Amino acid sequence: MSSKPPLYQVTGLVFRYGERFELNIPDFSIEPGSAVGLIGPNGGGKTTLLRILAFIERPQSGEILFDGERTSVEDASVSRSVSMLLQEPYLLKRSVFENVAYGLKVRGKRKRLEQEVEEALGTVGLDSQDFSRRPWYELSGGEAQRVALAARLILRPRVLILDEPTASVDEKSALLIKDAVIESRRKDGTTLIIASHDHVWLNSITSDIRRVYRGRVLGTAVHNVIIGPWAEIGEGLCRATLPDGQPVTATCPPLPGMHGMVDPTDIVISLDRPAMMSAHNTIQATVMSLEMNGDTGIVNVSLDTGGFRVLARVTRHTAREMNLLPGEKVWAVFKASSIKWE
Amino acid sequence: MGYISEGFLRAFELLVSLEAETCSAIITTISVSSMSMAASLVIGIPTGFALGYFTFPAKRQVRAVVDTLLALPTVVVGLIVYAFISNRGPYGNLELLYTQPGIAIAQTLLVVPIVISLTATAVEGLDRRLKPTLHALGARGAQIALTSLMEARYAVLIAAITAYGRAISEVGVSMIIGGNIKWHTRTITTAIALETGKGEFGMAIALGIVLLLLAFLVNGSLAVLRKRS
Repeated sequence: MSSKPPLYQVTGLVFRYGERFELNIPDFSIEPGSAVGLIGPNGGGKTTLLRILAFIERPQSGEILFDGERTSVEDASVSRSVSMLLQEPYLLKRSVFENVAYGLKVRGKRKRLEQEVEEALGTVGLDSQDFSRRPWYELSGGEAQRVALAARLILRPRVLILDEPTASVDEKSALLIKDAVIESRRKDGTTLIIASHDHVWLNSITSDIRRVYRGRVLGTAVHNVIIGPWAEIGEGLCRATLPDGQPVTATCPPLPGMHGMVDPTDIVISLDRPAMMSAHNTIQATVMSLEMNGDTGIVNVSLDTGGFRVLARVTRHTAREMNLLPGEKVWAVFKASSIKWE
Repeated sequence: MGYISEGFLRAFELLVSLEAETCSAIITTISVSSMSMAASLVIGIPTGFALGYFTFPAKRQVRAVVDTLLALPTVVVGLIVYAFISNRGPYGNLELLYTQPGIAIAQTLLVVPIVISLTATAVEGLDRRLKPTLHALGARGAQIALTSLMEARYAVLIAAITAYGRAISEVGVSMIIGGNIKWHTRTITTAIALETGKGEFGMAIALGIVLLLLAFLVNGSLAVLRKRS
């Protein structure tokens, strides 16, 4: 029996920027047609990983299988299946039409060019009549971002990689960008790989979110990462301290230097401080935001504990019953054994 | 002071009446510098692009030589070219001395480092996002190179105009190679030098005004292009 290989299968990938930064990913895969989100702090390696997946950068070692085949930066047929939108997109010093049509022109596809450009601009909410002839310097930040996205969407790539696409755009542009990429995935089966700090926006596109931290991909879902350091306190337990001084207890990691991961669904939210519970960890926090996790009936609750963000997940019913609102003081409760190690 | 105002009056008369000798110097200047510009652009743009775009051993040293040649004195260029194209020189048989093509060759040597250096600077100064963007859009090899040159087009035009400004205003090359022959190789600058020496301020001022107008035109174009780039 033969099963379809993942679109990307990355093994033993190492990429170094001098002495200071190393991206080290032992194993990482992305399924065709999926939407994968990457979150994590600046300088953690998200952009480098995206550039490697876009075949713009070449890792020092490791193997990238694309569709089950080994490939590289030089392989034009494969790398042309992937298009990346940089965090700060660059528009050519030409008209909007020329910018959007460029990718098709370099592929020698000049048929129905005007119609294709019109459609691509329409997908990102720009009126072709109004924008097509405009020069690059007559666009706002959000419009430029959308023109750059249209220049990628017109190519109907198999993989669309977006690096912080909403970092410098207004709410309306962020919404239009979201609609455009969801439509591209629905219509053309485009695989989406998106790095963003905007968790709400990212959650509205995909629930498959992976955390990139200090050059490692941690977890295959939205996990809360507790970095440590973890100090042994006896009886097989270790303790770390959150920025506001609250302790977190876990069963000790198998290896030193590992990071603790807490699944948001393992966190229980309580309005009152619970007493006499089997769970070791009771953290006081403030509700920062609530957002629907797509149409799953689950609500993502973002909590803050002295600058440290904790994500918990509750059902819509629970959120309504508890009358959870931003600004409310709550208690986040989870077991020491629910902390996993990576 | 009277002779200066008389000079301006005479200059006005010469320009309004399109006096033949004045016009001949202007036409010679434009003709010679256009020839040298065409040649220096053909040589300078590809060379400058290669110098700015590609990485190769001794690139820094080559760049240092080109940048040093920017300050090449016109009389030295004139002297070198004279040595090669005079009757006793290796290319004497081409009979280029005291001809407009002869001046154009020497001017090309004078301005080609400007085109090379400014083009290389323009290409090196291209936005660092350009290459990954073109790659992400599917461009490869020559397509990336050509688009990069197109992106630098305003800066390359600035290089060309700067070089043109240098060509029309130089005097050493035109004097040594052209010989300042009336109706033939006399340019605006050599004519000004001669007429001033003769005390004919009218014509010198008239030609000076034309040269200044050309310089304003060149600088005006530069200002517009700098804004666009």
